[in-house]
Amino acid sequence: MIDGVLFTVFALTAVGFALTMVFRRNPVHCALSLVAVLLSLSGMFILLNAQFIAVIQIVVYAGAIMVLFLFVVMLLNVKGETPLLTPGAAKGFGFLFALVAFVELLWIALSSVGEGAGRGTAPPVGPTFGSPAEIGRILYTTWVFPFEVTSILLLIAVIGAVVLAKRKFS
Amino acid sequence: MDTAFLIESAAKVACVLGFILVGVMLTVWAERKLIGHFQDRIGPERVGPFGILQSFADMLKLLLKEDVIPSQADKIVYFIAPALSVITGLVALSVIPFGDSVTLFGRTIPLRIADVSVALLFILGTTSLGVYGIVLGGWASNSKYPLLGGLRSSAQMISYELAQGISLVGVILMTGSLSLVEIVRQQEHLWFVVPQFFAFAIYVISGIAETNRAPFDLPEAETELVAGFHTEYSSMKWAFYFLAEYTNMFVVSAVAISVFLGGGHGPFLPPFVWFLIKLGAFLFFYIWLRATFPRLRYDQLMGFGWKVLLPASLLNLAITATVVALKG
Amino acid sequence: MQTHGVPMEYYQIVSALLFTIGLVGVLARRSALVIFMSIELMLNAVNLSFVAFSRMHAQMDGQIFVFFVMAVAAAEVAVGLAIIVAIFRNRETASVDDIHLLKG
Repeated sequence: MIDGVLFTVFALTAVGFALTMVFRRNPVHCALSLVAVLLSLSGMFILLNAQFIAVIQIVVYAGAIMVLFLFVVMLLNVKGETPLLTPGAAKGFGFLFALVAFVELLWIALSSVGEGAGRGTAPPVGPTFGSPAEIGRILYTTWVFPFEVTSILLLIAVIGAVVLAKRKFS
Repeated sequence: MDTAFLIESAAKVACVLGFILVGVMLTVWAERKLIGHFQDRIGPERVGPFGILQSFADMLKLLLKEDVIPSQADKIVYFIAPALSVITGLVALSVIPFGDSVTLFGRTIPLRIADVSVALLFILGTTSLGVYGIVLGGWASNSKYPLLGGLRSSAQMISYELAQGISLVGVILMTGSLSLVEIVRQQEHLWFVVPQFFAFAIYVISGIAETNRAPFDLPEAETELVAGFHTEYSSMKWAFYFLAEYTNMFVVSAVAISVFLGGGHGPFLPPFVWFLIKLGAFLFFYIWLRATFPRLRYDQLMGFGWKVLLPASLLNLAITATVVALKG
Repeated sequence: MQTHGVPMEYYQIVSALLFTIGLVGVLARRSALVIFMSIELMLNAVNLSFVAFSRMHAQMDGQIFVFFVMAVAAAEVAVGLAIIVAIFRNRETASVDDIHLLKG
């Protein structure tokens, strides 16, 4: 019962702030709405037994990536644009396309959840499911190659960001 | 999830909140008294015995003060920024173990609000979120000193977060758990400050930088940036920032005590009393630093964080990992 | 030892909804920063879907995938924002409508 209440709260906050993010003029308000979405998603992750991922979401996504976003928005001092939407979207094409995409996504997602008696339930999991120990074990055995590649990718991203944002020497 | 559990949790939250509010007022008084004595003067002494009600009087004054809002300030963000700082500071206290347990009305009540299995990561997460209160406060004031102060302060905070986190990983390797209750429990015989002394030093220094306290308090120094990010804040909102800063000091001290200093273990006295004693010692250390050192220039501060503390904490991690792996 | 109270398809519905809202943001907004933020929203919707499926099948692989998605998203945000800063320095604008030099 408490799961249902928490899920409803998190889901409503996430969708509400996502809508706020897309339709606000001021980019700082958009960034803050996105942070709220990330925090609600983190709550949903905890409901899904993904404690480590939930806290990592707060530390990495909400605490570092969005701070970087906010810094860039504040330093560039971008104001909100005057016609909020692109001309095409103002005529409704974007929304139509998004509606079609939504129906399609729903179809695929719901059909993979299973039918009949299995629909909607989830099997019980042990207490270590989603714990850092479990993630560590799988990460360093089955998934060690993507892990190493990701570290190289992050190094490339750091170098790339520094090179791109440097002022040129005249 | 029965009603007794909910009532117990609500009571514990109220207790921690009360403890923090009283503790912050006492710390402010202690700071003014101690810095006064360090500087060969007396400090507040008129309001109550030894001036102990001084912070209470200040709080009353702040409550009744006029609330000035800059005209072009972004009202929504201006209002929520101090609240964000306080919320992230207080939420971190929900996973800190204050002592053992107490028996009341036939129930054994452990002296902590929650025992979360990822408690250390959770605290790191809340300190990361604490950056928002400062950078948003600086931006929402729509004025150059707060903006510069806010950006500098948040850049400083995110730089020292790394060293802070990595210095804690040494202890995590040794205990194999992220839960603060488990880490405290494993320090029964040997406090982790002994094998992890460098990590302790790195953690304390980064903690001081995280909370924007002297000697790392350039972003809010009066001689530099008027008052940094909280220049345009008055009355209760400024008081909230003040409260948030002292709450963060409490959190950093409490985590250092739980992870490195045994968190309640000690002879003769009950664990809660030991926790308070160690907390008092830590806060005294904070105040002593403020009275003693001149502040670091901003580039010195950032250079120290990135070029000295971060490599040092990584070295500590590498050595700890090697030793733990070799011991089996 | 924990069964789950909320049916799994509710999570998929929320994920699809968030993804679509992000899609609307990418298609309809003109500010490069907000478009970027909408892309992050889409990535997060996918993360939610992964974690929900991981829970449904009681396997940890979905969560590992989310871990990698977050790392890649961090890298992408760093480089993407550097590009936006570089463009802004040159053209003084952050609106994608004004960056049309390659238009025929």
